[in-house]
Amino acid sequence: MLGFIMKRIFTMVIMILLVSTMIFFLFRTMPGDPTAFIVDPSIPKEARDQLLERYGLNDSLWKQYTIFLKDLVRLDFGNSFFYGRPVTVIIKDLIPATLILMFTAMLFAYIIGILGGAWMAWKRGTKLESFGITISLIFRSAPSFWVGLMMILIFAVRLKWFPGQGMRTSGYTGETFREIFLTLDFLKHLILPSIVAGLYFVATPLLIMRNSMLEVLSEDYIEMAHAKGLKESKILYRHAARNALLPVITAGALFIGSAMGGLVLIEYVFSWPGLGREIQRAVVRHDYPLAQGAFIIIASLVMFMNLVADVLYVILDPRISYK
Amino acid sequence: MLLLEVKNLDIDYKTQEGTLKAISDVSFTLRQGESVGFVGESGCGKTTLAKSIMKLLPKNGSISKGEIIFKGEDLVKKSKEEIRRIRHLKIAMVSQSAMNSLNPVYTVGDQIIEGILAHTNMSKKEAAKRAEEVFSIIGLEGKRLKSYPHQMSGGMKQRAIIAMALSLNPDLIIADEPTTALDVVVQDRILREILSIQKQMNSSMIFITHDISVVSEICDTIIVMYGGKIMEKASTKIFFKKPLHPYSLGLKNAFPSILDIGEELISIPGTPPNLMKNLSGCRFVERCPFRTTLCQSEMPVLREAGEDHLVACHYIDKHEAFTEAAELRETWEAVRSRIIQEKEEGA
Repeated sequence: MLGFIMKRIFTMVIMILLVSTMIFFLFRTMPGDPTAFIVDPSIPKEARDQLLERYGLNDSLWKQYTIFLKDLVRLDFGNSFFYGRPVTVIIKDLIPATLILMFTAMLFAYIIGILGGAWMAWKRGTKLESFGITISLIFRSAPSFWVGLMMILIFAVRLKWFPGQGMRTSGYTGETFREIFLTLDFLKHLILPSIVAGLYFVATPLLIMRNSMLEVLSEDYIEMAHAKGLKESKILYRHAARNALLPVITAGALFIGSAMGGLVLIEYVFSWPGLGREIQRAVVRHDYPLAQGAFIIIASLVMFMNLVADVLYVILDPRISYK
Repeated sequence: MLLLEVKNLDIDYKTQEGTLKAISDVSFTLRQGESVGFVGESGCGKTTLAKSIMKLLPKNGSISKGEIIFKGEDLVKKSKEEIRRIRHLKIAMVSQSAMNSLNPVYTVGDQIIEGILAHTNMSKKEAAKRAEEVFSIIGLEGKRLKSYPHQMSGGMKQRAIIAMALSLNPDLIIADEPTTALDVVVQDRILREILSIQKQMNSSMIFITHDISVVSEICDTIIVMYGGKIMEKASTKIFFKKPLHPYSLGLKNAFPSILDIGEELISIPGTPPNLMKNLSGCRFVERCPFRTTLCQSEMPVLREAGEDHLVACHYIDKHEAFTEAAELRETWEAVRSRIIQEKEEGA
């Protein structure tokens, strides 16, 4: 098991290098000029060239790339063009907000998805089942920014139950992680965006769980469980759901990648000061170092979650072991 | 004392094409300690019958008529929860596919203990001890309780399933083709074990199989089913000496005797009847070599043909002639050409 994890971490490093290379060239082939956002376009050409020189943007692509790789190995993503601060510091400040939002939303989606999916399979063919499928698909198909705006309109503007913007009341400043995130104020701000993100996510675990449950429910060991005179709830959750969970877990890990994509929009709508919103800004501003750093972090996160899924699989399914 | 009494049972399956009468008018009784074997082709209703006793019919199946009286109480009228309490504790099942009847993510021991705990007030420890006991009865080592199903061979899994069924000393064991998935040697050993345990515990058993030779080995009584009906019921000894129903005669032909190796077996031509149709005559009429017009219009009732011997045939008195004729290949070949001819006429 340990050997397996080590091997996976080794391949992860190689994959991250590959991903970084792709990201590096992707941004540089993007149309537009990074200087335009940093300096006033009306400044003299000399000053502009000087600036380009300072950021190393005049060097050949190859030279830029080797410097980028060398720094990457030392986990140095350079300084943001826009903020002038090290990218690592900026990301470190932004990532807790994103991770907290993402995991709250995932937790919400997965708890509802797994229990609901199992229950829907149990109620196969009833109106409740079609109702559940329809609702989950509506929230998956509706643009998440629209759902977000509607939620803000209803719950923040009209009903005034929850704040609709940011992650803390304006004027409140906190320095430490504890002061920023472990407050009631933060929780209140977290509710709306995580519900919107959760509703967007819920279709995946719900539908996979339902399908996988339907498959498991026709297995012989389920009939055996009935023949043993077990209670229905026990058959449903201990025998059927436990086995149906396996594909949901794998899908979940892969899902984090696409979830990040969805979060960009939701963070934007809710002015959530997270990585997603910043990525969008960095791309628009041609802030190469920040965008690169953020994308590499997200890619690493997806790979890491994949590893977690593989490890979870061993714990959940005794038939699987890694050598 | 009668343990089980099934009276005029009808079971229907609702399908998209209409209602399928899987079981019609089946009655039989079972004494404490008696073992009865149900034989018949696939689709004759034997598994449906077994499942209906435990109320484990699929969603589209239902008991439309009749009573299943177990220890004086009608199971048909019982609520889900009452049935749940009877399952496993009083009536235990050894299922058709041992390979897939154990949940792959729990140890075999956990699954046996779970069944015990669902019906008793035993502590987990006591239940574990009981599991170990039944494991030793069936010839498995106690440490095997900690194995996952995928770590066991097919024979071991089948034993574990039997051990599970025995764990609460049920009054009735329903074994639905418990050994079909196993090779003949293991099959034979396990059958013997089932038999000796059943006699020891004096529990009754319903044994479902399409293998008539298995019944001859382990059952007291044999019931031959065809098209959802009982064709013949007799004590095993009498039946194997003197089967009376033409279908039974055909079945007996279709099983090889060790004495005439090399002889091609005589099979019964044709296929079982379509149970979606309303059948008025004898279910076996299409394939019977001895049929008359009476057989086509009227379903014979099950009647006494001797001591402990019931047969549903209009012509029990002619059985000697039937038996002789049934041994001849020509008799059945004639049926084959008759069926082909009827098909052509029909088309």
